[in-house]
Amino acid sequence: MARLALLIWSLGPMVWQLYTSLRPTEALTGGLGGGLGGPGGWTFAHYQQLLHGNPPFQIYLLNSALVGASSTALTLALAVPCAYALSRLGRNASRSLSLLVAAAAAFPAVLLFLALLELARNWHLANNLLALSLPYAGLCLPLAILLLQASFRDIPMELEEAAVMEGMGLWQRLRWVLLPLMTPAMASAALLIFIFCWNEYPIALTWLSRSDLLTLAPAMARIAGSSVYTIPYGAFAAATVLGSAPLILLMLLFQRQIISGLTQGAIKG
Amino acid sequence: MPRRWPLLLVGLMTGVLLGLWGLAANAVERVNVLMPAPFAEATADLVAAFNRDHPGIELSVTRGPLETEAVSDLAISSLLLGSSPYDLLLMDVTWTPKYAAAGWLEPLEGWLGEDALADLAPGAELGNAFAGHLWRFPLVADMGLLYWRTDLMQAPPRTPAELEAISRRLQAAGQVPWGYVWEGKQYEGLSCVYVEMLRGFGGRWLEQEQPELNSAAAVQATAWLRHLVEAGITPPTVANMAEPEALQAFQAGDAAFMRNWPYAWAELNKPGSPLRGKVGITTMVSETGEPHAATQGSWGLALLAGSRHKAAAVEALRYLTSVEAQKQLNLRWGYTPTRLSLFNDPELLAANPVLAELKLALSDAVLRPLTPIYAQLSDLLYRELNSVITGGIQPEPAMEQLQGNSERLLITAGGQR
Amino acid sequence: MRWKLWLLMAPALLWLLAIFAAPMLHYAWLSTQAETVLTGLQPRPVGAEQWLRLWNDARFWQDTWQTLRFSAVSVLLEMVLGLAMALLLHQPLRGRGALRTISLLPWALPTTVMALGWRWIFNDPYGPINQLLQGLGLSGVPFLSDPAITWLAAVWADTWKTTPFVALLLLAGLQNIPADLYEAAALEGAGAWQSLRRITLPLLTPYLLIALLFRLAQALGVFDLIQVLTGGGPAGSTESLALYAYLNAMRFLDFGYSATVMLGSFAVLLVVAALAGLAFQWSRTTQAEELR
Repeated sequence: MARLALLIWSLGPMVWQLYTSLRPTEALTGGLGGGLGGPGGWTFAHYQQLLHGNPPFQIYLLNSALVGASSTALTLALAVPCAYALSRLGRNASRSLSLLVAAAAAFPAVLLFLALLELARNWHLANNLLALSLPYAGLCLPLAILLLQASFRDIPMELEEAAVMEGMGLWQRLRWVLLPLMTPAMASAALLIFIFCWNEYPIALTWLSRSDLLTLAPAMARIAGSSVYTIPYGAFAAATVLGSAPLILLMLLFQRQIISGLTQGAIKG
Repeated sequence: MPRRWPLLLVGLMTGVLLGLWGLAANAVERVNVLMPAPFAEATADLVAAFNRDHPGIELSVTRGPLETEAVSDLAISSLLLGSSPYDLLLMDVTWTPKYAAAGWLEPLEGWLGEDALADLAPGAELGNAFAGHLWRFPLVADMGLLYWRTDLMQAPPRTPAELEAISRRLQAAGQVPWGYVWEGKQYEGLSCVYVEMLRGFGGRWLEQEQPELNSAAAVQATAWLRHLVEAGITPPTVANMAEPEALQAFQAGDAAFMRNWPYAWAELNKPGSPLRGKVGITTMVSETGEPHAATQGSWGLALLAGSRHKAAAVEALRYLTSVEAQKQLNLRWGYTPTRLSLFNDPELLAANPVLAELKLALSDAVLRPLTPIYAQLSDLLYRELNSVITGGIQPEPAMEQLQGNSERLLITAGGQR
Repeated sequence: MRWKLWLLMAPALLWLLAIFAAPMLHYAWLSTQAETVLTGLQPRPVGAEQWLRLWNDARFWQDTWQTLRFSAVSVLLEMVLGLAMALLLHQPLRGRGALRTISLLPWALPTTVMALGWRWIFNDPYGPINQLLQGLGLSGVPFLSDPAITWLAAVWADTWKTTPFVALLLLAGLQNIPADLYEAAALEGAGAWQSLRRITLPLLTPYLLIALLFRLAQALGVFDLIQVLTGGGPAGSTESLALYAYLNAMRFLDFGYSATVMLGSFAVLLVVAALAGLAFQWSRTTQAEELR
């Protein structure tokens, strides 16, 4: 019973969007008779309209994927060494630093947008998808560091000491001993970072203005604002379905890593 | 495999970008206009006709949001970043100083001539120039009007006292439940209402760029609006009324007077309307000796300074604001023209007899303050007025507080003390 | 050896300083300046005037109240529902893995995407909720056009999205509680309610605290959802502090004041987080005394 309620609560809104996206516009506003399963049939027109729009909807997905990928790479490159060092630091220093990092993780990113806007203006970083990785890496670093340092702690010190005995330097130990063991944790962290960047809104909103460079989140907002005139809810719904599909797929494919990533972070962070 | 797909994406993206670039690089001059959604709809035929007549130019319209401020948000977000995809922008009258001061607009007098505004109807020329330059050419005019019921009275009131007296008489006789409905919600419409009353009592919002909202006239205007509610002439729900709600109440026969824009005329006189043929329009009431003011709200085209096709864009601007184009916009969509000759055009007058009265009202047009920080000044004003209307604060202390806050806003925005 | 560790940390820590600390310092300076179109978007010192303006700004205080109201109600709901969801997902049932994934989906979707979806779901009269109400012979609810109701619609949408996140954090905590504690309690004759009160909740406290603080901070900065779902309306009744700060910069081009509003909302956040932390500590100690 409770499980059913949970299913309806979680999936209901999404199913409704899917249903709306496949119904002709007239059927949506045709009153109760036409609203739920009434006449009117099914249609792919809303999807076709989006995919042949100007710019076509898939551009937004590509843009988001690009920003997500480059930001994830940059974040990990910065976070891995930091997390390693943090896990090997004395207890007190590590604790207070971790607390600061945790505070940064909770910080609402929207409060940074004005300073980042000025950064984009002064350094001509606007309308550049790769440049967007610079603030994104900053925003994702706290979470990545917390997750990764928890995993570094799990690796027994003896292993590293043995490597030192064999004459390996710090860099070699990281590359050949520790990183292979860290792969699962890094995969979890990478997925969470990617999801965050895919979804990020306020900074993308201020850094991107060209419609062919928009990422998914600001594109959705622009679609939402562009036509209150008529009620193109079929098209809106199709946009939400297309916008969610990649992430739902990602969740289904990598559920274990994502869930373990989140819970790991909670237990040790 | 997982390591290769970012690369693949980069490749794909570059391909897409190169494709778009290639498209943009051919010989036709592309001009892009940003307009609110309803205007984009109304000008679609004109745009098509322009493109037929001008093979060297491709004019396209970006259909912006419906809401006025959201259109501006969209434009600003690209202008702030220094690369705007738009060449022309259809602007509300209150935006002009902000955009001009930000350096985003190209002065038009060099393109259209110093006497560009000469053949506009009196009142329509207001609000297009700021700080010595012409920034905008008006496409459609709009002004605040007093709607009155011709079946309930001989002549419309001309002073606040007359409006009150007629309302009381009709209410006492049971002919209408309320006397006068207007826009009292906490939003820009309330500022428009207030500007008309402020002038009608002899006051000013800004004098030499300094607020005068604690003047005797300003307090009187505020007190009168509150008095209407207290005296039962205006329903208390006015505090939540915007144009549609006021029109709804008036059209249902709930009030003898309404303050609204010209669009309400067509709505009230369309077939099936209970008030068809029973409505007259005039300008707002005022104290004897003070002007009957009509707040001007107009839309006009401006040329963006960053445009790379200025000559072609000006060509499009001329075309869209031409006499013929405005005539079409009036005949098909009911938009009030700005060219003087159209107000005397027999064909238009036959289709829209009310044009004669609109021309009179337009000649009484007053502007909301021409200042780059207008939006914030107005936010302070309608917030304070709304709480006066709901009885949250007395008129006099409210206006003192408003005066103080407006002065502080000017200081913190970098205006002089 | 130690300096090498610091060297490894340096890039990330500097990055964090640049992204989080530098903006705050910049705002502190900017809040003493006028920077608008009247100054050609160049800074001009105005002393403490921006702060006086903030103090006298009815809109700022209205938005503060609205943001607090939104955060308090939605975070409270999320904690209660999140706990219930976590307890449910913790039970050894068939299909538990799939259920966990499905219930986490709302959290993974972009806020703006589902905010647009909710606009349709809350539509009056064509949205499913109003269709259902009308089908039952009830009158529709103007979810998005009545100032008294719309903020609750925003709470609803926010709760839908973030409850799974809270549930997952708490689930991690539940998994850390040794099962023999429950067995021992059951032997002593404790019912389900008692073992929840005496074992689960006390041992879950650190997780509840983390979830509470994290969610509070995020809710007080609510922006995406409000901007797309309501745009701050109707009549400004759902405008949040973050949206006001955003509008000051992007709509009014008033950067000095935008920075001031930003710092003002940050101060509100700090005060609320401190109060929540204290209240939590207090309830924890009284609870511990009770148990003793």
